[in-house]
Amino acid sequence: MTPPPGPFRPGFWRSPLRGPWLTAALGSVLLVFVAIVATTGFLSHAAYEPDLGRNAIVDPGADLPLVFDWPTRPRFLYAVTQGLHVNVGLVAIPFLLAKLWSVIPRLFAWPPVSSPAQVIERLTAGLLVASAVFEFVTGVMNIQYWYAFRFNFVVAHYYGAIVFVASLVLHVAVKLPVMLRAYRERGTLRPLREDLAHTRPEPGAPDTPPTISRRGLFAAVGAGSAALLLANAGETIGDPLRRLSILAPRRQVIGPGPNDFQVNKSAVAAGVTEAMTDPGYRLTLRGGPEELTLSRDELLALPQRTAVLPIACVEGWTTTQAWTGVPLAELARRAGVAEPRAALVRSLQPRGVLNQATLNAGQIGDPDALLALRVNGADLSPDHGYPARIIVPALPGVHNTKWVGSIDFEVPA
Amino acid sequence: MTARLRHVYGASPLHLFAHLALLPLTAFALLQIAGAGNATRILLWLAASAIVHDLLLLPCYGVLDRLAQRTAGSAVNHVRIPALISGLLLLVYFPAVSGEGNGAFHRVSGLDYEGYLERWLLATGALFLISGLAYLLRGSRR
Repeated sequence: MTPPPGPFRPGFWRSPLRGPWLTAALGSVLLVFVAIVATTGFLSHAAYEPDLGRNAIVDPGADLPLVFDWPTRPRFLYAVTQGLHVNVGLVAIPFLLAKLWSVIPRLFAWPPVSSPAQVIERLTAGLLVASAVFEFVTGVMNIQYWYAFRFNFVVAHYYGAIVFVASLVLHVAVKLPVMLRAYRERGTLRPLREDLAHTRPEPGAPDTPPTISRRGLFAAVGAGSAALLLANAGETIGDPLRRLSILAPRRQVIGPGPNDFQVNKSAVAAGVTEAMTDPGYRLTLRGGPEELTLSRDELLALPQRTAVLPIACVEGWTTTQAWTGVPLAELARRAGVAEPRAALVRSLQPRGVLNQATLNAGQIGDPDALLALRVNGADLSPDHGYPARIIVPALPGVHNTKWVGSIDFEVPA
Repeated sequence: MTARLRHVYGASPLHLFAHLALLPLTAFALLQIAGAGNATRILLWLAASAIVHDLLLLPCYGVLDRLAQRTAGSAVNHVRIPALISGLLLLVYFPAVSGEGNGAFHRVSGLDYEGYLERWLLATGALFLISGLAYLLRGSRR
């Protein structure tokens, strides 16, 4: 059966660099990056503790059983896992594109299928390519707040990740023998030692003269990864490197004042401007024998503690500040709940899925878990949650609820 | 039995078992997407991801690369590599560079994507400048 003209003919693809070794080498690097991105992604899902209260964003009845009690130590845990998720994700993009470039002739293989096994393999490869590109596209758009896709990012990115990981595991299992054979036959790193004059085509590749060596290709792809990383990493590491990352969404240094640091959601955006300036503000604590209400002055009169803690956003940026306020454990004790099993924190923010969050027992019990009233020695600004906000070590950024109106401590069963 | 399966199926039984074990997991995830809000749009974006990459993005940069090979000759990599890095920066940071993402970004944070296009242009210029200098240096050493 003669193949149709165009990309289905072997002569159409001109690069002598393509072949099993190049694909294996690019794939091996990509696999390491994807393993980090996927692991930290699923860890982030667990860090939101979808099993507690109304934390779940994807339907908990149709979720994988990957949830555990997210710890509070080390305090930079979520900053690290989520910083890796976003930054290693960016680093992986050039390798993903190069890997797909190296195998593009396979898309036009002729005949398209020759056995049932191959039908399944091509179906899996289709799912893999679609879900891989989809995950990177939606992730990259989300960190820059471009919601042109107009669907729920979390749901799509989460289930897309399951398709991606499952089809990737299958792909690696099927291709591992091909990969190992390529390394055995050509030498694991030997092709990287060949300069342009010594670059030979891999078996089956066309005998056209190469325009770049294989190590040149790796250097170019690696330089692309380094550029994407440098352009963003400053927002993860935080001040003073923030401004060095020229294209990071959160590179702005706002000012020298105690409240001049990045805001995930401003008070105006959350629609809480009136409630938070109200002198009649009272914090309500529930769960004990009777409801307890406290004014901001009464809260300031309670024992205070200062902790230097990061806010680490799911979008990969971090800001570390010195927070002062009342330990949550102290509030639980005053409310009359000795060892709360969980705590539901509600914001004065009228709308939005993230106007409440439920904390686990370990998070309430950590001595540095605070209902913060002040930051860097000054009162919280409206944008940072005045009159009071939650700050818990290693908690995903948005679960550090701002403009706290009430805390419901759950009594152990 | 194994030989017969291999003949009809075209691969080892392990191949079949692995797919029978993991493809249901992908089907589970796709079913959750199909039941989510705006499901058609998610599925459309999934399919478009593969199609746009394989049949649009990749052929486009392939054609550009051929063009560079023809016009730049022996200097091709000095054009290719800065173009690749600049192109990647634009592709990944397009929402900020183009300002397309500014609406929601400004709404939530009160900030704006200011100067992103300018910094991308300067970075692109710097990349080609370094690459051009490297080309000159290489030429003078020869």
